[in-house]
Amino acid sequence: MDVFAHLANGIASVLSPTTLLFLLIGVLVGMFIGAIPGLGPSAGLAILLPLTFGLDATTAIVMLAAVYYGAMYGGTITSVLINTPGDSASVPATLEGYPLARKGRAIPALIIAAVASFVAGTVATVILTVAAPPTARIASSFGPPELFLLVVIGLLTLVVLVGKSWKGGLLSVVLGFAIGTVGIDVSGGEQRYTFGSTELINGVDFIPVAIGLFGLGEILWTIYRGGHRETPAEMDLRARRGAFWPSRQEWREAAKPIARGTPLGFLLGVIPGAGATVASLISYSTEKALSKRPERFGKGAVEGLAGPEAANNSAATGSMVPLLTLGIPGSASTAVLLGGFMMWGLQPGPLLMRDNPEFAWGLIASMYLGNVMLLAMNVFCIPLFAAVTRIRFATLAPLIILLCAFGTFTVNGSIVEVGIMFGCGVLGFCMRLYGLSPAATVIALVLGPIAEETLRQSLLLSGGTFAVFVERTPSLALLGVMAVLVIVPIAIPAAKRALHRRAAEREQEGAPPLT
Amino acid sequence: MPNTRRPLTALTLPAALALLAAATGCGAGTTLQEDPEEYPSQNLEWTIAFGPGGGNDIMSRTLVDILNEHDLYPHDIAVENREGGSGATGWGHLLSNSGDPYVVSTTSGSFLTTPLQADTGWTHADFTHVGLLATDDLLFLVPESAGIADWAEWTEHAADTGPVAVGGIGTVNVDFIVQARLAEQAGYEIEYVPFNDEGQLQTAMSSGSLDAIVSNPGSAMGQVKGGDITPLLFTGKERLDALPDVPTAAEEGHKGMVSMPRGLILPPGAPDYARDWWIGVMRKVVKTKEWRDYITKNHLAEDIRWGDDFTAYLKDSGDEFEASLREQGAVK
Repeated sequence: MDVFAHLANGIASVLSPTTLLFLLIGVLVGMFIGAIPGLGPSAGLAILLPLTFGLDATTAIVMLAAVYYGAMYGGTITSVLINTPGDSASVPATLEGYPLARKGRAIPALIIAAVASFVAGTVATVILTVAAPPTARIASSFGPPELFLLVVIGLLTLVVLVGKSWKGGLLSVVLGFAIGTVGIDVSGGEQRYTFGSTELINGVDFIPVAIGLFGLGEILWTIYRGGHRETPAEMDLRARRGAFWPSRQEWREAAKPIARGTPLGFLLGVIPGAGATVASLISYSTEKALSKRPERFGKGAVEGLAGPEAANNSAATGSMVPLLTLGIPGSASTAVLLGGFMMWGLQPGPLLMRDNPEFAWGLIASMYLGNVMLLAMNVFCIPLFAAVTRIRFATLAPLIILLCAFGTFTVNGSIVEVGIMFGCGVLGFCMRLYGLSPAATVIALVLGPIAEETLRQSLLLSGGTFAVFVERTPSLALLGVMAVLVIVPIAIPAAKRALHRRAAEREQEGAPPLT
Repeated sequence: MPNTRRPLTALTLPAALALLAAATGCGAGTTLQEDPEEYPSQNLEWTIAFGPGGGNDIMSRTLVDILNEHDLYPHDIAVENREGGSGATGWGHLLSNSGDPYVVSTTSGSFLTTPLQADTGWTHADFTHVGLLATDDLLFLVPESAGIADWAEWTEHAADTGPVAVGGIGTVNVDFIVQARLAEQAGYEIEYVPFNDEGQLQTAMSSGSLDAIVSNPGSAMGQVKGGDITPLLFTGKERLDALPDVPTAAEEGHKGMVSMPRGLILPPGAPDYARDWWIGVMRKVVKTKEWRDYITKNHLAEDIRWGDDFTAYLKDSGDEFEASLREQGAVK
């Protein structure tokens, strides 16, 4: 069967006016949903899925997939402008995007993010087109031991993320783990720290915590340091000086991270579980490790925005692989899409692509077009969104707080989560005050429970021995990656120091003795 | 149809209703007294206790679609997903609307298990039971690569190799009860590994970590048809139409297989006339072509029990769940 014949058929089925219209609606709605704090891809899909009941399956999937990746583009806007990530995979991008915006480079940062998303989305769709079935084998070789190791790799990258202040970093991670233990323990079926409340039995969601720690915490911090008294004029001036397009220097800095982040994101996105989050974390730490000036990270390094942003978007496309080829959802968002398959009367599974070629290939074809639409729309809309940086903080802050509360409430309709969001806002402020890392906390909150669950599953499987982690080929490969991750950041500075020392010694030997 | 409401006065409010309100601890303010003959005279609120795209959601939306298509409900139906707390939020919403005949919801396995796990403030017995429409049963699956062709081969293999690793969703759940019972009755030892989501459960088996899993036919059928996994047993009362060669657990001599009830409920203390009206309408719904298609496509087993029969069924299943989970030490 020829891939290109299938793709041609797919393109033909997408090019009907109705499907095109729904694709356009999908990317538009997705982008705007993503731009609301709290509403990320999975919440956006959950809200829109019921509307597709009764729609033609191809039209419906084209629209919903567009909402999915559209929300990923849109989520970057809130990450960069108001420091609020829409899902855990976009946390690393926030770390560099927001400082860039603070420096008056909001528009160039958003353009770089959009281009990174576009390149990653398109390249990943090409990989999906030609290599979906072989990559599906990666997904099906990942059992609990491999997932555990993968999550541990993600957690190891936090060492790079928190940088030098390791005590604060450790405390932040432990805090995230602690929040992550709330809820019913899936292995034992018992409640932990729920105080009998049914609101908490499924644990504390990522969204309210992230919005609180990042978005609200930032606002409180700005007020604390007197930012509300600053006139927006100075910000405005800086923004104007920065112009619209990123500088040639910035493009150069972004190119390689995008080229590295894209395949990385796709590969890890294929893996059900924590693929996208781990991919963007690895991308961030890789870029920091490779950078000649790692001290710029956390203060607006373009590499740290472009790499994770690319990884995050290609992971979204990568997660379509197990969905289409195996009928297995890899993330919260694709789980909603899988529900959609059944709602539209399709049987997900290995035969889906054979039995419903117009559906699967229509979806793939639409992703090329959708990415182009999103790039165009982003470039067009970015100045509009970026205008918020010109609004006086005193006016903007209450609006953002309102939006944060609204976004949090919309996701699950839970007032308790709005409370958690406000509580985490105060916590986020204190964390900034004492130099802790909110990013490490939310990542630990997301990865901690997965690590716990997969570790316990692995040990149940092995009868309590850790040998399970070295007995299987994929686990061994992951252990190799882990060793590299641990050794390289320690080894390189150590080697550098050794070289310095030797040079210094040589100098000293040659120097005249002190009287 | 005229949309008349009688004023709520102390005179027309029957003593029974007051007693009921006191008993359920909820305000009678949500309850409107109306002429049973006029039911239904208002818009309906359809609560789905789970998120969009899940089994419960798809069933509810199919039912609402049928009611609308066939003009079976004369007013508007507003569908709302109230997810959270494994159904606690959605069904809790019905509890707080006790006595109101204009709020409905559908059931699933958590309707029986969530109250065993958490302090929900309700159990299945509190609600007004309209009818059971179908049950969602489980397929017992092994990877194709294991080369096991039937249940007898599996039990032999499992007994020989010592404890086998089997998986399912959750601990306080149908999956665990079924795995534990099958192992006990067939005489082999298991290590049950609970998962939180279907995707990870299925890849755990395909990666060679698990020897066998149980899954709802709806989520496993794709892989079964693709030949990646082999179904050995079905826990339903009758064989699945889509898999006529797979024997039922009963045929293989196994008893006490539990399943997820897919039925319709009204809030606690909803009036009898409302329940009877819904039984009448649902009798028509289950005969429609759309409903038959839904049952076939989602591989459910039709199991129709109206009113008190449904109540009795829920009581039996609930007791069974509780006893079994207590016995296995999953709940205290």
